[in-house]
Parts: sequence; structure tokens; C-alpha cells
Amino acid sequence: MRRVTVFDYEAGNLHSLLKALDDPALGVRVRVETDARALLRDTDLLVLPGVGAFGHAAARLAPGRTDVAAALRDGLPALGICLGLQLLCEASDEGAGDGLGVVPGRVRLLRARRVPQIGWNRVEWTAAEGAPSATLPQLPIAYYANSYVAAIDGNDPCVLATSTHETDRFAAVVRVARTVGAQFHPEKSSAAGVAFVRAVVADAVGAVVDA
Amino acid sequence: MLTRRLIVCLDVRDGRVMKGVQFVGLRDVGDPVDLAVRYEAEGADELTFLDISASAEGRATLLDVARRTAERLFIPLTIGGGVRSADDVAQVLRAGADKVSLNSAAVARPELLTESAERFGAQCVVASIDAKRESDGRWRVYVKGGREATSLDALEWAQECVARGAGELLLTSIDSDGARRGYDLPLLRAVSHAVRVPVIASGGAGRASHLVDAVRIGGADAVLVAGILHDGVTTVRDLKAAMVEAELPVRSLAA
Repeated sequence: MRRVTVFDYEAGNLHSLLKALDDPALGVRVRVETDARALLRDTDLLVLPGVGAFGHAAARLAPGRTDVAAALRDGLPALGICLGLQLLCEASDEGAGDGLGVVPGRVRLLRARRVPQIGWNRVEWTAAEGAPSATLPQLPIAYYANSYVAAIDGNDPCVLATSTHETDRFAAVVRVARTVGAQFHPEKSSAAGVAFVRAVVADAVGAVVDA
Repeated sequence: MLTRRLIVCLDVRDGRVMKGVQFVGLRDVGDPVDLAVRYEAEGADELTFLDISASAEGRATLLDVARRTAERLFIPLTIGGGVRSADDVAQVLRAGADKVSLNSAAVARPELLTESAERFGAQCVVASIDAKRESDGRWRVYVKGGREATSLDALEWAQECVARGAGELLLTSIDSDGARRGYDLPLLRAVSHAVRVPVIASGGAGRASHLVDAVRIGGADAVLVAGILHDGVTTVRDLKAAMVEAELPVRSLAA
């Protein structure tokens, strides 16, 4: 059985995410891990969930950061959600500490009047034929709760989808090697979001599921 | 562009959803988990549980309800009622809520908003404000479920809540609540222009056009609906359809 490890930095609730991962069709065993040094133990997919502040999460990740970054560069599949996507970047304007540096660039504050961005926003997918987004369900709208975003340019080839808050267009979904990051919360984006999570898992572990 | 949200609110006491007018004639209308899942399927954008339990046992039951709901609900869940400290906030979030709404406890000790926002992020701190119009045309903040007046002006308190870390405001008009004659549009307008965080309109929804007015005239980012759904006056589906018809940006199930 393939194994999924969820990093718990003890900042918020993981119930919906764990339930989204718990699909018999995926045939995976899910483990919640609070120790960053143990994240790579028996892991086929690493999930970085999306709760809390960057500084706190980076501090929790620090003891395992170098090894995890190397594993992701070597092709270990990973899914970062919201703050988890931001941890994939190099660093953040929100707080001290180093990210994994898998996604290029820093994390910056949203350039908008209303921050945090809270609510359902449209997701615009890059339509390129044969793009790596082809294996992901292209959900048209998703739930956001964030003040910060990855500073990467929306036209960078690793950006699979963007959203726009007021006039600020930012990366909604990124993919580098076998690492996927989503700035929205798929586990809070109803059925289409759950299908997104399950597709990422299926892609990572080679399972076949009906989206 | 963010869509305008439809939030369904359920009053929960001792683990059951209750319905009643001004706490009189409370009636059991069902299991909160089942109702929450049903409202998600109908197209609700978020769910709110308001705990109206009076006892410690009721509180413990609510945390269990939150756990069971989070395992079946895949839209955001807010829990309010009786949250007194940052440790209470931690407990509610840990149980499965995505946001916590703070009302009387924030008035009693405004630092609670800051402590919660610093620990868990502004996006999960909802300041809940119950306001009532005074004879001089201003709005006064009430606490304890609308039974006790404070010395606070609602506009000033709204701004202070945001300055102290609230990521959203849940604004309930005591004058409009339960009357089903529409939200308090002047109150909504005043508050939504005074702050930079999303404002959720609450109190007074009687039909779909009231929701549209709250957004269009009141400037609300989200509308909270309770009684008219539980009484079967209308459905989430019909309310969402009316918002689409009015050309408001909303998440439709077809999308």
C-alpha cells in the first residue's frame, strides 16, 4: 500500500483534508507527522497543509528542511496547500525562516484593498495543449483564505492556473517536477476540490480513480 | 474576483439544531451534521454553527458535532457562541472549525481578537457584532445574545475589531432579526464602507431580493440566512438562482 504523510504543524484543523485523502479507491495509508525530521520516513507523497503563519510553520519545518527539499528535487511527489504552497517557495515577507525553495521566488502580501482574501474566487487555467495541468481536474472556482501569495510571475511555465483578487493576479496552482502547490483550499472547495486532491494523490501513487 | 457568499446558519443546542423565535418555543429540527451536508449539496458556500447551549455538557457536545461535521463537510465551517479565550478558539479549530466567531467575549476583552489572530491568523477570526439603532440614528453594540446594551458605537467597534485582528465581520441587526423584512441596509452600508475586511450581513432575510439588496445596496460580501431555510420558505438553490438572475457574481453549482 502506498503511503501519504501529512505534516501537522499543529496550527489548525486537518479533518477535511484527511477525509479527502481517505478514499478507498486511492488505496493509500495516511500518516500525520508532527516531527519534520520524520517526514521522509515511509513516504510516497508528502502533503503540506494550509494553516497558520509562515514563520511558525518554517520554524517547525526547519529540522527537516534540507532533506525534504532534496527529496522533492529528486522527484518525491508533494502537495502544498495554501501556506503549504508558500512553504515550497524560498522565503516569505510574512515571517522569518526559510522555505523549501522548490518553487522559485518569495512570498508577498496580496496587493489589494481587502486583505485577507476570504471567499470563493475563479481559477483561470492555462489552456496549453498537453500542459502538465492535463492530469488535474480544472476546477473553475475555489475557496481562498489568505493574505499572502507566491510572488512568482503568473506567466511562468510552472504556473498552471491563476486567480485575481481585485486587480492582483497571482499563482493559484503551480507545478515543479512532481510537486503541486495550490494557493486555494481544495479540501474546502466542495466536491470539485476533493476531486482535485484525489487526482493529485492518484497521480503521485499511480492509482486510477474516477474524478 | 471574489464571489458573494451565501452562508447558512444553524443554531445548535446540546448537539441538535434548534429553531425558535427569540428563544421562545425552541423546536428540534434535526441533526446538524446531516443538515450541514444537505446545505452543501444544495449550494451553500459556507456553514455557521451558533452554539446556544447553556451548559458545559452542551459545549462538549458541540465540539463532537464539529468533529463529525468536518469529516463530511467540504466547505468552510464557522463556529460561534460561548468562545471565551484563545484556548477556546484553539479547541474549536482543532475540533474541525475553519473560523471562530467572537462576540460578547471580544467586547469584554478586545485583546482576545489580537491573541487569536496572532496565534491562528486573521482569516479564522470573525468578529460578531449585534447592533441596534438608537434614537439619535447611531447604532449601539449589544451583547449576551442581544439582551445587554454596551457603551460601544457599532461603527467604531467594527473598526476597532478590524484593527485588533478580525479578518471578517458578522454584522447582525437586532432591529431586523427575525422580522423577515430585509437586512438593515443603512447599517450594512455604514459598516462596509468603514472597514476593509469582508462584512457578512445577518438578520432580516425574508426573500431572495433581500439578499440581493444586502450586496448591491448594503455592500455586503456575504449574506447569512437561517430561518427562511429551516422553515422551508425557500431553498439555497432558489436563493442562489435569484442572485445569479440579479447578475451578482456567485458560485453556482453548474460552474
